[in-house]
Formats: sequence, structure tokens, C-alpha cells
Amino acid sequence: MADGEKKRAINRLKTMYPLRALVDGMYERAVEASKEGKPVAWCMVNWWGGDAVLRAMEVAAIYPEDYGAVCAAFGTAPTYLAQSDSDGFPSHMCGYARNCLGYAARMKDLGEIPPEAPMGGMPKPTLLLSSGYFCDTRYKWFQALGRYLDAPVWVLEMPHPGVKESRMEGVREHNIKFLVEELREFIAFLENLLGKKMDRDRLAEIIDDTIEMNRVWHEVNELRKARPCPMHSRDFWSSMPASLYMAADPKVTADLYRQMYDEAKSMVDNHIGAVEEEKYRLAFAELPPWHSLGFFNQLAERGWNFVIESWAYHPPKPIDLSKVSDPLERVANLTYQYFSGYFEDAFNTGDWWGYFAHPYLEFVREYQCDGIMLHPLLTCRTATNHLMVVQDQLMTKLKVPSLIIEGDIVDLNLFDPADALRKAETFEETMSHYQKVRKEAGLAW
Amino acid sequence: MVTGKINHTEILSVAEAGLSKTKQIYQDRTRRVKELKAEGKKVIGYLDIYPVLEMLTALDLVPYRILGDMREPITKADTCLPTVVCPFLRSVMDLGLKGKYNFLDGVVMAHGCEVSEKTAHIWRTYLNPSYAHFIDTPHTTHAAAQRQHKELLKDFKRTLESFTGKELSIEKLKEAIKIHNEQRALVRELYDLKKPDPPLISGVETLQVMVALASLPVAEGNELLRQVISEVKQRKDGPAKKPARLLVWGSIIDDIALIDMMESIGADVVMDDTVLGSRAYFSPVALTADPLDGLAHRYLVELKSPRTFRETVLSETKRKDYMTDLENRFGYLKDYAREWKVNGVILQALRYCDIHGYEVPGLKDYLASIGLPSIYLEHDYSEAALAQLRTRVQAFLEVIS
Ligand code: SF4
Ligand code: SF4
Repeated sequence: MADGEKKRAINRLKTMYPLRALVDGMYERAVEASKEGKPVAWCMVNWWGGDAVLRAMEVAAIYPEDYGAVCAAFGTAPTYLAQSDSDGFPSHMCGYARNCLGYAARMKDLGEIPPEAPMGGMPKPTLLLSSGYFCDTRYKWFQALGRYLDAPVWVLEMPHPGVKESRMEGVREHNIKFLVEELREFIAFLENLLGKKMDRDRLAEIIDDTIEMNRVWHEVNELRKARPCPMHSRDFWSSMPASLYMAADPKVTADLYRQMYDEAKSMVDNHIGAVEEEKYRLAFAELPPWHSLGFFNQLAERGWNFVIESWAYHPPKPIDLSKVSDPLERVANLTYQYFSGYFEDAFNTGDWWGYFAHPYLEFVREYQCDGIMLHPLLTCRTATNHLMVVQDQLMTKLKVPSLIIEGDIVDLNLFDPADALRKAETFEETMSHYQKVRKEAGLAW
Repeated sequence: MVTGKINHTEILSVAEAGLSKTKQIYQDRTRRVKELKAEGKKVIGYLDIYPVLEMLTALDLVPYRILGDMREPITKADTCLPTVVCPFLRSVMDLGLKGKYNFLDGVVMAHGCEVSEKTAHIWRTYLNPSYAHFIDTPHTTHAAAQRQHKELLKDFKRTLESFTGKELSIEKLKEAIKIHNEQRALVRELYDLKKPDPPLISGVETLQVMVALASLPVAEGNELLRQVISEVKQRKDGPAKKPARLLVWGSIIDDIALIDMMESIGADVVMDDTVLGSRAYFSPVALTADPLDGLAHRYLVELKSPRTFRETVLSETKRKDYMTDLENRFGYLKDYAREWKVNGVILQALRYCDIHGYEVPGLKDYLASIGLPSIYLEHDYSEAALAQLRTRVQAFLEVIS
């Protein structure tokens, strides 16, 4: 991505680059694997369990959601979106999905990776790994790919435990059991598909490394509570795919996160922030406009530091798994912690609808944000459903205002940077006003 | 109820109550349940086809389906559901916020789709019903998902028992399954009356019956169905023969306007695959030793909806064949088309409905492969959209008729 000349506005962490490269490199690694006749999987984010199994089975995994962001950033998305539209997929559907459907259609037509595909492209998959969690697109999209690909689809099932019922006695247990059994069924499917047995010791090792990788990554983000914050959301977005997508061996990724921790820690110790003069600390929800990230540089020049973002792209809060010995149970507990750990506060206050929005309250309080930028996405229900509640709760409970900028993850026509900048300028007054209001209300920042 | 020996005129007069009664209920859905409430019964609202109604009936609770109202402008839901989600669910939430469902004693909702899951939680937070339960229905038919679904029904049973203070016994549940299965069989019988050419009952009348069923306790619904079936079989003024016999597929249709538009321009809507129609009724529940097994299986595996993922059996080379996959997912529509002598299919989906939207190109491919012309309509759950849709349907009817 073109970070080059904008570097001055945002102090980019040096340790971010190898993490981003790890993810970017997965496409070329998958193309290589495919050329060597090795299996390749296109995967949805599946919160580590499925990833670990694939890695233990030596399947090269790539993630079309990430590739949607790549195509948006490289400007190739419009071609694929147009293809998807002309094939009859409704245009209100997920930008990543339509990008991928268009890509697959073109690959089928050409019989090879489209020449314009960025980062080496996504090679033809051996299987597709979907997920039943979070959004309907996550499995309907891969099912719809059957029009262009002959790869079988597996949907990894997951419970949605952020609700009242998940607090009933025995529910956690049957949910974890469900996650474990699902992984077992997936392993059986994969062993049959690939005609080989999984190395269980290797799986155990990968899972342990995954747990550790997420722990370190969590520690990095904890450092961002410092004033000034050493790491801007742009670095977060560049670094988080390495955890979310398990782009490489988690042991390697954990090492890179450790290096990032060291760099950020030294910045904290030396009071160096990601922007020159941190006037405003902001949170960001949900996915950013990948095609217009330069917008954040303009805001950084005005002293805006984005210090925290959607919980959904953060690692689970650390959890003690030392007493869980079965590897599949260990990773199931990690996944479950991601699904439920951020909602404890919502549980405790009976905020059943707001469970999805609730973590923002905690983040904004702990990271002492002056405002939040909400980015409703025209084509993603999951990232948009709860934003009104976020806006309402932050104002009611913490006197923190929201700046709403509509757009999309892929379709750049839906995002107007000039208008967004105008709104942002006006928003500074609002943030300053609420700084006073919070002070009067006795809030800590 | 008709009892004892009665003459033909009596049958006719009772039977005639069928269709006119359905119209009345369609126009005023709440009247009967409000009467029942006055008698001390508890009414439980439900959304979509995934809440397991037998468990309500078994405890003498009255299930009442929560529907939207496309004629009522959305003025309140904006505060809790954005404009880029299902307009039907926005309407549902809007009616809830306006107090139109205040008579409900509780709600049960399930994970029909992503936004309906969110709606379940919004409903309970904003409207604070004294009873609310959410069933996190899985999305696949994996063995693990089926086991999980049964566990979820056990959780549902626990909250129902605590709400009613009664035990949900196996016997009561089996009885409830029988009476719900009876309703399913009667709906099939009703749909059989749509097979002749011309059909004996129109699409509009059928939808009115289905809305009425969604507004009554199951036993009363069964009685109404018997009356309607009897009346329809005997009447001489049924729908006229029209050149187009349509199957309508897709998102929920809970207002007659769309079907009425089609039937007013030269089509008979003889079959549907929607959640207020055949999709909700065509699969019975198997009577198993533990009734929860039959229920868990029916609601997860037997219900045919695009929200439940079904992977096709792979070929010997372990690859997926597209046409086999389509056959696996949509084969039942071929049977519908054959049995109901359909000559055109209307695919319709509400804007922002991902569940149905992703199906469209594949389903069109499938229908083309079996020689059935189809058209896709996207709409926003409003009367205003009808004029534009009418032009498109008209053009389609000209092609197929
Ligand atoms: S969560 Fe949003 S971006 Fe991700 S697959 Fe679903 S619709 Fe697309
Ligand atoms: S119409 Fe679609 S989005 Fe709306 S409730 Fe039904 S499945 Fe969900």
C-alpha cells in the first residue's frame, strides 16, 4: 500500500511492515503451493480453529475478505464488482463478496489468475472454508462461488453466545462441546478430501502458538492506552490481519508482534505518539474505507490520533487455558472467549441488544477517546446494525460524540473524502465541547 | 364446530364462513388473540419459521406470528435499526416500538438470519417483554449442529417451564406435534386445490389463509382450514383460467398487494416458496420417542430455506459439480413446478436480504436448466414499489404466456 510520502503525518511503526508483508506474502505463497500441486483453501475468518487445522494439514490458506481490501486498495475492485453485478448478484450485497464473485467469474473465463490481480492473485482453491458466525454472507458467498469453482465448501459452525440464554446453566458447556465437535467433523471432512491423516502433535503445537500469538498481540494493544498513543489505527489495520487470518506460522507471527510490543513500549517510555501533536484521541468503528486510507493522514495532520478500533478485529481478551489439555478444546475456548469475553459488561448490565455495541463503551473509557468515527457500510449489515446504539450509548453514558461518515469497504463511489473532511473539521468543535462536558461531569478525561 | 348429522345447506353455510372469515382475520389479525387473552390465555409472539411452535402449544400458550405492515410508514425504527437492513424487519421493529404488539405476553425468536438475530435482541431490550427467548439455530445440518440444536431446544424448554410454571411433558409435546402436523397436512390439502387449471383458490386467497393461520391457535387454524377447503371445493366462482401459472419464490410476503398485482394482470399464483407459504408447512415433524429429536431435526434439517447451508455430495474426484449442487438445493422446486404445472417463476427478494440475494444467479441457472423462465424482482417492502414491479411482471408474462 502506498504509505510513502504520507509517513510524516502518521508515525508508522517499523515493526508493522513485516507483519503486513506476512499477510501480503500469503497470496504468492499460495500460488507457489498451487503450482506444486499442494492444496489451497479460500477461507473466511474462522477465529483460529479452522485455520489451525488447515495449517496442520499443510493446506495453504488465503482469505478473500482480506483480498477484497487488497483489491480496494489497488483499485482493481471496480472491475470485479461490475462483473458480479452483470452476473446478477444484487449490488446491495457485501463488497468483499461481490469483489470475490467477480474475481472468480473472471478466473473461470480466463482459465487462470486474472493478469490484473494484485499481489499475485488468488489461485484456484481445493476447498472453501466458510463460517456460520456473524453474518449470512460468510457462508452464502462461498456457496454462491459454486457458479465458478468446483471446490467443495465446508461451513464451520459457531454459536452466538453474546445473549442472555448463553448465561443459562450448562450453555457454555454445550456451546464449547459444539465447537469441538464441529472441528472434529471438519477434520474428518478434510482427511477424506485430502486422503491423508492430520498430524495431531503438529495441531497441538500450532494451537499453543496461536494462543500465545493472540496474547502478545493483546499486550501490544494495551500499550495504546498511553498518552500519546504510540500506534495509529492505520498500523492496527495493517497488523491485525496477521492474527485474524493466520497468514503464516503463528510462532513467526507471535515473534513479530513481540517486536512490535518492544517498539511501541519504547515509544511509550519516551512519550512519542503516532501523530506529532495528539489533540484528539479517537476510536473507529467498523471496517475502514480501504480505498481511501490517505484520509487518515489528513486527519493526523490536524492532530487526530486513532487509538482504538472495533473489538471484532482485536484478539480475544487473554484467558487462562492452562487447565484445558485437549488441543481442540483449547482452541474452542479461545474462540469462545473472542465471542463472549468482550461482552461481560453487557451481560452484567442486561444490555442484550447492545452486546455488540457494548465493548465500545469499555474501549472509549479505557483509551480515553474524545470521539468515535462510525463508518456505516452500505453493503455490510454486520458492521452497521449496531452503530446507532454505539452512538447513543457513548453519548448517554460517556458524553463522547460520534462522527458518522457513510461509505463502503470496497466501493469507493460510496465514500466521499472531501465531504468527510468537511464534516471532520466541524466535529473538532464538538469534541472540544464534550471535553468540557466530561470534565464537568467528573469523568476522567 | 360442525357436529352430528347435518344437511347439505348447513355444511355450505358453515363452509362459507371459511374464506370470508379468513378475510376478516387477515384485516384484523389481533381480534381472536385478544379475546383469548381476555379468557386468561397467554399469547407468545414469534418471528420467522424457526421458533419451535409445538413447545408453545404444548404448554397451552398461543403462538402469534409477528409480521410487518408495508402500508405503515417507518417512523420509529430508525433509532435502532439502520436503513441498510431488511425493510420487513425494520417494519416489525417499528410496529413494536409503536406499541402494536403490546398485547403479547412474550416473544420467542430464532437465528433465522443475521438481522433477525439482532432484531430479537433489540426487541427484548427496547420492549422489555416479560418473557423472551432466543434460539440460536445453527446454519448447517452437520451431526454436531443437530446435537446442538437439540440442546438449544432443551434450553428453550427450561425457560418456557419457568415462565408458565408448568412441566412440558413428553405426552403434551407429542400431542402438540400431532396437531401441528395435522395443520401441515391440511395446508398441503389446500395447496392441492391449486393444482387444477384454473386453480380452485387464488394466490391472494391463499395468502389470506396463511396470514389467518399465523394469527390463531393451531386447533382453530385447523378448523378454519377445514372450512376453507370445504368451501373452495364446492364453490363455482373460483379464479378464472389465466395464461400464466406462477411460482413465487423468495423473501417473506405478508401483504396481498404483490400477489394481487400479479393476479390482476394475467397470472394465477399457483405455488410459492416463501416463509408464510409452503416453506413453513410442507415438512412434517417425525414422531420420535423423544419428541425433541423429531423437532430438532425438522426445524434444522427438514425445513427448506436458503438460510440453512446444505453441501452437495462430492463426485468421485471429490470435486463439487455445480448442477448437482443446484439440484440438491433447489430440486424440490422442480417437483413443485411439475405438480402445480407452473410455466414461470418470480424470484423476489427484499432489498438487503442477503439470504435470498446470494441465491439469485444460481437459482436462475437452475430454473433455466429445467426449462422454466424466471425473473428477479427486488423491492423495498412498500406499496410505492408496486407500479414499477407491475411493468416488469407484465413484460415477463407476455414472454411466457
Ligand atoms: S461481515 Fe460484512 S464484510 Fe464480512 S463477509 Fe459479512 S458482510 Fe462481508
Ligand atoms: S427477508 Fe431476508 S433479511 Fe428479512 S427476515 Fe427474511 S431472511 Fe432475514
